[in-house]
Amino acid sequence: MTTARRAAAGTARGVLPSQPDDHDSRSGPEWFARELETAKASEARYRGLLEAAPDAMVVVDRVGDIVLVNAQAEIRFGYRRDELLGKAVTDIIPDGFAERLVADALRSEAVALAQQMGTGIELIGRRKDGTEFPIELMLSPLVSEDGVLVTAAIRDISVRKAAEAELLEKVEALHVSNVELEQFAYAASHDLQEPLRMISSFTQLLSKRYHGQLDADADEFITFAVDGATRMERLIQDLLAYSRVGTQGREFQPTSGESAFQQALLNLRGAIEDSGAIVTSSALPEVMADETQLIQVFQNLVGNGIKYRRPETPEVRVSAKRVADRWVIAVADNGLGIDAQYFERIFGMFQRLHRREEFAGTGIGLAIAKKIVERHGGTIGVQSQLGIGSTFRFSLAAVGSGSS
Amino acid sequence: MSPRGDDAAPLHVLLVEDSAGDVRLTREAFRDANSKVVLHVAGDGVEAMSFLRHEPPNDDAPRPDLILLDLNLPRMDGREVLAQVKADAELKTIPTIILTTSDAQADIVRSYELQANSYLSKPTELDRFESLIRSIDDFWLSKAKLPSPRADR
Repeated sequence: MTTARRAAAGTARGVLPSQPDDHDSRSGPEWFARELETAKASEARYRGLLEAAPDAMVVVDRVGDIVLVNAQAEIRFGYRRDELLGKAVTDIIPDGFAERLVADALRSEAVALAQQMGTGIELIGRRKDGTEFPIELMLSPLVSEDGVLVTAAIRDISVRKAAEAELLEKVEALHVSNVELEQFAYAASHDLQEPLRMISSFTQLLSKRYHGQLDADADEFITFAVDGATRMERLIQDLLAYSRVGTQGREFQPTSGESAFQQALLNLRGAIEDSGAIVTSSALPEVMADETQLIQVFQNLVGNGIKYRRPETPEVRVSAKRVADRWVIAVADNGLGIDAQYFERIFGMFQRLHRREEFAGTGIGLAIAKKIVERHGGTIGVQSQLGIGSTFRFSLAAVGSGSS
Repeated sequence: MSPRGDDAAPLHVLLVEDSAGDVRLTREAFRDANSKVVLHVAGDGVEAMSFLRHEPPNDDAPRPDLILLDLNLPRMDGREVLAQVKADAELKTIPTIILTTSDAQADIVRSYELQANSYLSKPTELDRFESLIRSIDDFWLSKAKLPSPRADR
C-alpha cells in the first residue's frame, strides 16, 4: 500500500501524514497505532482526491510500474483497474514517459513544482484495444515509504488536437486563398489594361484631332473622358505594382542602402529638378532586402516628401540608426505635415488626404511602401506635425542578423 | 544603294496584330510619321506566314521591309511566327520587332533567344505610342541599312 507525501508541499497539506523524522521521540505501540490510523485515513483521502480528479491519474514507481490508478484512467485506457496495476507504464504510454521518470526523479522540488503548474508534455496514449490517442501529461514526484513515486495526470487531448489540426488547415487554406487573390489582382489589373488602353488612346486621339472643332461641351466631355481614363490607368499601374510586391518579390540579400537610395534619387530626378528639392542623407547601411523593393520604398517616401511641400524649398533628409539587430531608416521632410488622426490611415489602399486638384495621385504609394516593409519583416510608421514636416521611419534586418 | 533611296518607293510594314484598335492606332501613327509606309495587317500567325510565303490569297504580297509582331495571337502566336521567320533562310533577314503589352521578363528573354531584332512594349499613353512609332520609323525605316530584297532575287 502506498502512503505518500507530496514532495511539493502546499497543495495537499494535511492530507498525508508527516514521516517521522526522529524515531526516538515518537515511538511505542500507541503512537504506531495512531499513526497507522492517520495513515489509513490519509490514504483514503488521497485515493478520494485521486478518484475525484477530472483527469486520468496514474501513479508509477521508479521502475515504471503502475501502482495506483483512478476510474478515469480505467475509462480512458479501456482497462479494468486490476489489469492496470502492476503493468509497465510503457504499455499504455509507449514513448517518452520512461525518460520523463528519470528526469523527474532528478528534479529539484522547485522545478517539480513548476512542472506541476506548467503545461504538460504531449505524448501518445495506447488503449487496451491497441488504438492510440493524443494525451497531455503532467508529472509530479511523490515521496513515499516505497521510495519516490510519480503521479501522472493524463488528459485526453483528442478534441484539442483535432481543433488544432483544423485551425492549421484553415490557416493553410487562407494562405492559398491569399496567394490566389494576389495572382487574381495581378492578372485582372493586367488584363484590364488592354481595353483601357483602347479607351484612353482613342479619347486622346479624339481630343487631339477634334479639339476646337466641335462645340465647347464636346471639348469638355472629351477632357473628362481623357482625364478619367488617364487616372484609371495610373490606378491600374499602381495596383499592379502593389500586387507585384507579393507575387514577384525576390529573395532578400545583403543590399547597399546607399545605392538603393541613389537609384531612387535617379528615378525621382524629374521631381527633384522641378521642385528644386534638397535631398541629403547620412551614410546608409547594408540591409537584408529585395533591392528593387527597397528602391521603391525610398522612391515613394522621398517622392512624397517632395510632392507634399510647402511654398519653401522642399528638403528631405534620410538617415539610419541601428536598433539591436535592425536598422531604422528615417525619411524626414519639411513639407505640409500630417494630422495625427491620419497617421494610420495614410498607409491604407487608396487613402488620400488631398483633393485631386491639389495633388495628383492614387493613394497607393504608402500602401506599397508598407507592404514591402512588412514583407521584409519590418514596420513602418510616421511622426508628423502640420506645417512643420513629417518623418517616416521603417525598419529592416541588418546584414547577418539572421532574421532575414 | 538601298531601294529606300528612291523617294517614291513605298515602305512595306507587316503588322501582325489581332486587336482592331491597335491596328487603327498603328495605322494613324504611321500616317503621321511617314507617308511612304504601307501597312499590311495579318490578324494572326497563320495569316502572317501566309503573307510572308506568298501563299494564296497572298500571291502578290510584297516582301515587307519590317515586321511588327504581337506575341499573343489566335491560332499561331507571335513566338511561333518569330521562330518560323528566323528559321527561314529567305525571311530571316527581315527585321522583326516584337510590339506587345507584355512586359514579362520571360517573354523578353524568349523573344531575343528567337532572334527578335528588338522588343518594344506598347505604351499606354497615346503620345508615347506615337513617339514609339516615330522612333521605329526613324531607326528601322530610315537610318538602318537593310539588305535589299530586290537584290536578293
